[in-house]
Amino acid sequence: MAELRLEHIYKTYKGGVEAVKDLNLTVKNGEFLALLGPSGCGKTSTLRMIVGLESITRGEMYIGDRLVNKLEPNARNVALAFETYALYPPLRVWENIAFCLRAKSIPPEEIHRRVMEVATMLDIANILERKPSELGGGEKQRVSLARALVRDPDVFLMDEPLSHLDAAQRANMRVEFKRLHAQTGRTTILVTHDQLEAVAMAERIAVMNFGVLQQVGSFEEVYNHPTNEFVAGFIGEPPMNFLPGKPVSENGATVLDAKDGSFRIRLPDAAGAKVQTSKAELVDLGIRPVHLEVTRGEPELGKLEIAATVVTYEDLGEEGQLAAKVSETNVLVVTPLI
Amino acid sequence: MENKSGSHRLAAVLSDAVLIAYFIFALFPIVWMLLISLKPGEELFTTRFVFHPTLDNYQAILFGDPRAAAGVVAKQEFPRYFLNSLILATGSVVVSLLFGVPAAYALARYKFKGKEDLAFTFLSFRFAPELVVIIPLAVLYRQLGLYDTYWGMIWVLQLVTLPLLIWVLRSYFEDISPDIEQAAMIDGYPWWRIFWNILLPLVRPGLAAAALLAFIFAWNSFIFPLVLGASNTTTVTVAALGYLSSAQSFFNRMAAAAVISSIPQIVLALSIQRYLIRGLSFGAVKG
Repeated sequence: MAELRLEHIYKTYKGGVEAVKDLNLTVKNGEFLALLGPSGCGKTSTLRMIVGLESITRGEMYIGDRLVNKLEPNARNVALAFETYALYPPLRVWENIAFCLRAKSIPPEEIHRRVMEVATMLDIANILERKPSELGGGEKQRVSLARALVRDPDVFLMDEPLSHLDAAQRANMRVEFKRLHAQTGRTTILVTHDQLEAVAMAERIAVMNFGVLQQVGSFEEVYNHPTNEFVAGFIGEPPMNFLPGKPVSENGATVLDAKDGSFRIRLPDAAGAKVQTSKAELVDLGIRPVHLEVTRGEPELGKLEIAATVVTYEDLGEEGQLAAKVSETNVLVVTPLI
Repeated sequence: MENKSGSHRLAAVLSDAVLIAYFIFALFPIVWMLLISLKPGEELFTTRFVFHPTLDNYQAILFGDPRAAAGVVAKQEFPRYFLNSLILATGSVVVSLLFGVPAAYALARYKFKGKEDLAFTFLSFRFAPELVVIIPLAVLYRQLGLYDTYWGMIWVLQLVTLPLLIWVLRSYFEDISPDIEQAAMIDGYPWWRIFWNILLPLVRPGLAAAALLAFIFAWNSFIFPLVLGASNTTTVTVAALGYLSSAQSFFNRMAAAAVISSIPQIVLALSIQRYLIRGLSFGAVKG
């Protein structure tokens, strides 16, 4: 177990595509961190650089005190659970798990003990004699985890580990991942595009986009205090609404004025001050769909009002989703069932 | 219900009949060859079916003809030709495996300039008619001293065996996820061990099927050994022709030679039959 430290990491591919730009990130010893972002954001390149399957163009990477830039994958003592599981088809489950131990000339009794230990931990002791082709998706996933954990890695990485499982198995494995992390206390990095996974499992979330790290923090931080519009729009489901407007100073307060006069909203003082100092001509007001409410007639005291035209309403079973238009902008509202 | 099962039965009978007809059609030349090989010379050209089986023809080609008239080539050298065929076909397949497996892997895994052109060039070796290249090759072989040598023959037979192996195996390697190799790299294995322990078992059906077919094609090859080989490297395909001459045509001995030379192929095909169907259809179906 060790801390993972990325310092000014760059990845530039042949042809000049910059997949990762100036990435600084520290994953504390024993921490469970999720690397979250849309596809093409650089999270997989980052993962592959950590594991050593991809060279680091610039910057320094440390595992504990060791500079690992130039180390081969197996010398880094990291483990990766692949999205496709990547089990070795010709080998039985037992051999799959023992494969990495065999490479290191560990005595057979020790191999046996360690394989049985992870097999018990992951509840796969009963399928050790089978071939990967005879396993279901969930079982494959467990075997791939066992194979990664048996080597006792300093850093444990998972690449979209749940994407090939059905909903029930997913919920199951999420619990399993948390339990494993609590049990082993290993430094763990989860790479995913699914914020639900990230939120459910990780202690901290690192949000990436266009090869740049946008924000690192707990869910509470990235949800309530996003550093930029991308994080605000990416975190939260359904995504945040953005209403463009012109900031106007009025009696010392800042008021956001829609171009066509469809709404006028007085901004909270802190936000208003920020907008004033930025001297922006046009700003986007972000409001989460869960913070909007549908009302008729006069607004309640202390609430702000925006007039909107309803476009559609979807009944999602437990809640409703109302799509509306405020001038030219689409706005989504999460409502109780009608 | 009854009607339905009736039409089912009719369909079954019909399909059986078609299969049997094809079976007879496909097997007839082989049966005919067997029959001729067991006939004495005077029964070959009769209008009625006369058949007094004899092993004389086999004896003649394997051990020499005691009654051979002067001037007729004694064909007791047939065992040597058989051995030649065996050496050349096996050698060609072994050399093709040595070069074809890595080539197929490289064509499947790596991106490099002119990759598709290179792959297509390999394929074109297979479909370019042998007659097109045979004259320049013959000139070259004489100049290089490769004419009528084992190495020369094995080399030229690569035109037959190598493209087949490369193309079948390439699609096999393409179907294996690179993740598996990367997982093994992280597990700390050198590349050749990953290849040997993980990849090779996965491509084995294709390997077996392609190698068998390559062997058969090399064994059947006629033009190359005829033009580029002589007494040292005569193969059974060329030798069989030797039974027909302007003086006398031993169709029955030729048939006996053909029967014997088909034995290795039949044995091989039967022994790896289970790989054959799976092996070739697997690679072929995907587009």
